[in-house]
Amino acid sequence: MEWIALFIAGLCEVLGVFAIKRVTEHRSLLSYLLLVVAFGASFSLLMFAMTRISMGTAYAVWTGIGTVGSAVLGMFAFGEPKEWRRLLFICLILVSAVGLKWIS
Amino acid sequence: MQKEWLLLFLAGIFEVVWVSGLKHATAWWEWLITLTAIWFSFKVLIDAAKKLPIGTVYAVFTGLGTAGTVMTEILLLQEPAHPLKLAFIATLSAGVIGLKLVTKDQGEKARRKEHGVDRVVHRRSV
Repeated sequence: MEWIALFIAGLCEVLGVFAIKRVTEHRSLLSYLLLVVAFGASFSLLMFAMTRISMGTAYAVWTGIGTVGSAVLGMFAFGEPKEWRRLLFICLILVSAVGLKWIS
Repeated sequence: MQKEWLLLFLAGIFEVVWVSGLKHATAWWEWLITLTAIWFSFKVLIDAAKKLPIGTVYAVFTGLGTAGTVMTEILLLQEPAHPLKLAFIATLSAGVIGLKLVTKDQGEKARRKEHGVDRVVHRRSV
């Protein structure tokens, strides 16, 4: 159950990132509402997941889904560059952030 | 391009403030600072996302937030500075710097293309 919550928390985070992109394009009440609700749901689910899963692991998984999800969203939904150097550096940040959260 | 990267760094710094706030805030004014930091970090994050690719923006934002939080704990809260932590902070910084260099290239390429188009339009109007 906690792992399902954690996975959905990650998806809500990506939805929140989509909302950020939406706000930059149309500054409507709906965009801001989506932003607040998505990140609100994501944090709440993460807190719930952390009651059973250790904080380091939960945070690492959550960040991983969020970062990979945002990169994929950018490339496939918004036509952002798929250049290998860009992907390499995003992976480097991802591995370091997940590593830091795991050992902290 | 430079301005958006500064905004992104600012968003990362404010993220460190509110992450620490969520962990340690007890008094009402500490919560006020935490909430203001959340509001401000998202505001500048949105401004950065207007010009920079969203995948890049979010990777840098979470990366800086994580590295910043770990560094704050080492410097202010006397957490142990595990060598592995310092190594990850170094690789993370390399990732952010690399991403900035690569993005700058693409930005300049796009600008050059735009200028080319501008010149054509200008010549035609003259």
